[in-house]
Amino acid sequence: MGSNKEPNQGRKEFIKKGLLAGGGLLVASELIKWKPMIEAVKATQHTEVLPLVETVSTEDVVIRMQKELHEALKKPVEEIHWIMVIDQKKCVACDACTVGCSAENGLPPGVVYRPVIKEEIGTYPNVSRRFTPRPCMHCENPPCTQVCPIGATYKRPDGIVSIDYDKCLGCRYCLSACPYGARSFDWGEYHTENTPEVMPYELEPTFEYGDEKVRKGNKSPIGNARKCHFCIHRLQNGMLPTCVTTCIGRATYFGDLNNPNGLVASLIGSPRVKRLKEKLGTKPSVYYLT
Amino acid sequence: MKRLYFFIIGAFSLVGLWAIYYRLTEGLKMTALTSNVSWGLWVVFYIFFIGLSAGSFLLSTMVYVFNMKQYEKIGKVALLSAFFSLVAGLMFIFIDLGHPERFWHALVYRQPTSILSWEIHFYLIYMLIIVAELWFLLREDISRLVIKAKGFKKFVFKLVSIGYSIPDNSEKLERDRKQTHKWMKILGIIGIPTAIGVHAGTGSLFGVIVAKHMWNSGLTPILFLVSALVSGAALMLLLYALLVPKEKQDNTMLKSLGGLLILFIAVDLLIVAAKYLVGLYNYVPDERQVLLNMMFGERWYIFWVGQIMLGAIIPILLLSIKKGSSTLKALAGLSTILGIFCVRWNLVVPAYLESPMPGLETAFVHDRLLFEYTPNLFEWITSLGLISIVILLFSLALNSLPIMETKEGKEDNGETADGVQAI
Repeated sequence: MGSNKEPNQGRKEFIKKGLLAGGGLLVASELIKWKPMIEAVKATQHTEVLPLVETVSTEDVVIRMQKELHEALKKPVEEIHWIMVIDQKKCVACDACTVGCSAENGLPPGVVYRPVIKEEIGTYPNVSRRFTPRPCMHCENPPCTQVCPIGATYKRPDGIVSIDYDKCLGCRYCLSACPYGARSFDWGEYHTENTPEVMPYELEPTFEYGDEKVRKGNKSPIGNARKCHFCIHRLQNGMLPTCVTTCIGRATYFGDLNNPNGLVASLIGSPRVKRLKEKLGTKPSVYYLT
Repeated sequence: MKRLYFFIIGAFSLVGLWAIYYRLTEGLKMTALTSNVSWGLWVVFYIFFIGLSAGSFLLSTMVYVFNMKQYEKIGKVALLSAFFSLVAGLMFIFIDLGHPERFWHALVYRQPTSILSWEIHFYLIYMLIIVAELWFLLREDISRLVIKAKGFKKFVFKLVSIGYSIPDNSEKLERDRKQTHKWMKILGIIGIPTAIGVHAGTGSLFGVIVAKHMWNSGLTPILFLVSALVSGAALMLLLYALLVPKEKQDNTMLKSLGGLLILFIAVDLLIVAAKYLVGLYNYVPDERQVLLNMMFGERWYIFWVGQIMLGAIIPILLLSIKKGSSTLKALAGLSTILGIFCVRWNLVVPAYLESPMPGLETAFVHDRLLFEYTPNLFEWITSLGLISIVILLFSLALNSLPIMETKEGKEDNGETADGVQAI
């Protein structure tokens, strides 16, 4: 029995060793194949900070908008389409734009170009607030210019809806026609009226539409419709609208829609974007990021 | 009595002149208007008078175009009141401008997309048509007056007659009368679409405004037109009952005018019901809220008492009294006219009282940015003054021209003027 067992044993051993050797060879050959890959993985393990892609800038958006503004101004006026983008998540309702605008344009009492609408949403304890600054929408299809009997308010080739103060009759039809309530009438009042004297700073000239005008007596802009004009007089001189520069949260952006690499054009390609009362077909040039 | 009447209305006219002067020097800050309620009492009066004018004119065409002889007695007075109502309407819109001194801009600069621009041209053509019609109608009588009158009056009549003098033989006179008849028809035929353009156009002025959902409807111009006919018929009823002495009044005339008025009121009610009920039916707040505020808000009475009671129910009741006196008919006319004023108010002001965007009313707070409007004393005084001026001119014209006379029954001037004082 013993002798019978041995050769048997020997054969088993042999098969075992053979299998082991074969397996080992297989593993070894696989290892040789994988080595460069493993090394390649190891090579990436010590990481380094890559430089940012050139298109992403670290400079303040105001500086960038300023640069883009200068670039746009080199183009002929009909190739520009000024738009404004307002990020409602960034707006803190500080009213700096409203105040800055009033100071820039010397706005009398009762005239406002850019109020900030403050809404409360939800019921306690689930509440939040939404802030909507409301400049003139500078619509592509403005209902206000359409109704003006004398064409005193009109759309400029760069998309700005402007008013010819020296032509305007003061019929206030455009005020009724604006779906956004963006127009005010200059009633001829002064902030310091009914005080011993009207303060001289209220009689300082303003420069809307690039015209020097002093509000006095019945002279324009008294008795005219007035509204936001994207600070045309500042744009002409290479400056951003006042509300853009005074916005502490950098929530208001301004630029040329026709510049595909520009900041505003990139901002409005977002699912957050909306325009007010879009169903009316007015196509506002002011976009909101909600 | 006549003197007292002219004294009182003259005094009011002076107040009106003062108000115009004050308004022109001080600007629109004298009004209670705001940037959000940009049209107020003066615009209400403007569309009221334009409507009155178009209504009166369209009634006059019944005589001169459609040859309805039974209305001939009111033909001239209808044209004359159409003229003076138009003057009143244009005066109201003139003082409502921020820069009245630039009114000529409207004729120099044009804007084909603006209804208002078209309207201004319509008003002018319309005024020319009325003036031409009045001249054709009255030239014979005026040239007689030129011969009779002396001094300043003669000068005025000569001016008004524009060089026409009555022919010396009856053959030529007959020829001139035929010419008048022909021209009245031609002018009337041109006048009908013009008058419709004048008032339906004024309605479109509101109807096209997409921002005000209550106005923005195809029914708005129609509503303007039909209520113009209502006010025109009511004015004719009132003037006829007042100006023609009782013993000379033609009862069938009063009756048929009354019937016409009821018909117009009924059509008007139908359109009002269609417009407002459709607006109220769905829960879309844009129009529904405005209508609810108008009917059940703070000023509910303008709709229920003014528009419905004074403007429809009372006149219909007064006119349906079978043996009603002419005083009752005059009252019905007066009540309708007051009612139509309320209609005009409700067509203009309520649409402004809703904020176009939630939260805008509190975004920047100032008296001139309110969504509220109550006319102040100055606006009322100015309005009364302006209306007095127009009534004064109208009375002077009635007093000196043979407006209420017809070929059949001539009344003398004194009697006609006696009637004037009752206005």
